[in-house]
Amino acid sequence: MNSLRVAVAVARKDLVSEWRTRELVPALAQFIILALLIGNFAFQVDSRNATAIAPGVLWLALVFAGLVAFGRTFTAEREQASFEAMLMTPASPVAIFAGKALAAGAMLVLCEAALLPALSLFFGTPFSVDLVAAVLLATVGMAVLGVLFAAMVARVRARELLLPLLTLPLWIPIIIAGATAVQAAFGLPGSYQEAIGLLIDFDILFVVLTSLAARFVLDE
Amino acid sequence: MNKFEKAAAAAVGLMLVAGAAIFFYAPTDYLQGPVQRIFYLHVSSAIAAYGCFAVVLVGGIIYLRNDSLVADRFARAGALVGVVFTTVTLVMGMLWAKPIWNTFWTWDARLTSTLVLWIIYAGYLLVRQLAEPGRQAARFAAVVGIFGFIDVPVVHFSVTWWRTQHPGPIVVNDALPAQMLATFFLTLACTLVLAAVFIAIRYRIETLLDERQNVVEPAKVVAGPQPEATP
Repeated sequence: MNSLRVAVAVARKDLVSEWRTRELVPALAQFIILALLIGNFAFQVDSRNATAIAPGVLWLALVFAGLVAFGRTFTAEREQASFEAMLMTPASPVAIFAGKALAAGAMLVLCEAALLPALSLFFGTPFSVDLVAAVLLATVGMAVLGVLFAAMVARVRARELLLPLLTLPLWIPIIIAGATAVQAAFGLPGSYQEAIGLLIDFDILFVVLTSLAARFVLDE
Repeated sequence: MNKFEKAAAAAVGLMLVAGAAIFFYAPTDYLQGPVQRIFYLHVSSAIAAYGCFAVVLVGGIIYLRNDSLVADRFARAGALVGVVFTTVTLVMGMLWAKPIWNTFWTWDARLTSTLVLWIIYAGYLLVRQLAEPGRQAARFAAVVGIFGFIDVPVVHFSVTWWRTQHPGPIVVNDALPAQMLATFFLTLACTLVLAAVFIAIRYRIETLLDERQNVVEPAKVVAGPQPEATP
């Protein structure tokens, strides 16, 4: 069976299931708006400091929304005990992992579609192609790492505790490069080109590494 | 006194020798004063910690390749000892930084990546504690150990690119007096011996824990009669 077709089929299944239940994306979008609200009160935002604070609020909201989204990636499979069945098919575990990461990444992108305009609205920051590109590139790396670790903790006690502990340290390089890119896109000091280049490097590195590891994580 | 107790006593003795060299043999630094003496153990324990995490990495790779229980036990032992040495490194570094940099902490590349190193392997230990002991937990932990080892240079690089203020490695440098260099290498050797003894003792503990939980090599279970232990 063609691996690409498997990946697309798995991603499609997850997205269709999300479309029918509509439970994750609306909840996460609301969560993100709440995070912006808290950021607004926690920092005493006014027109002078808004651009300096907005990138921090953006990344905090995005990182925690990502943890919630990826933590739920395997919930349906665990509740229905259908993951073993999926692994018993001749489809390669790497393709299944790619499909899962694709769907989870797409759901986080949907949340970003709420986050970025809301950030511009509440903080008055410029909304640009540069900003969108930086956040989308960071989503790739976050999704592959997040879904790999979600697959591992799915079968462990206290998975809600372990997922952030294991995933956040591995996201730090992506967050550093992504945060610098967003700061540059908002007109703060920093080289946008360099940050985006680094983000692409990290994406390639983590996509390759997680694909290699997926075989050991999903193969039971 | 069994061989582990003998090895532990020898390691403690060596550390005392290193301590004597640090305080009585090495000259006092002209600029930094006595605080500089922290450097010997600080750098040595950082190197020992990296060594321990290299054991976790190699153990993890071998475990993923052929389910070797020995490799997994070494990885477990290495992670615990490595976290201890990383803690020592961080605490001593902060004690040094307060008088020299006038702050305990700064978000410099080496400090950040060492903290991330500590967090990742502390997470590794949590995984071992929370996951049901067995093949799945071991594989899971192996992946965490491998990713952690790769992530640390990446974090280091990203923060360096961002900003840095940690003093560069000046260990092998003509300007460093021979007595300081000798003290450093003596401390390094003693610390590495201490780390090796720790790992050996922890390996023994892990073996006993496995025996109590009846975790046996999977290959031996299906292979029929157990090979006779050599007397």
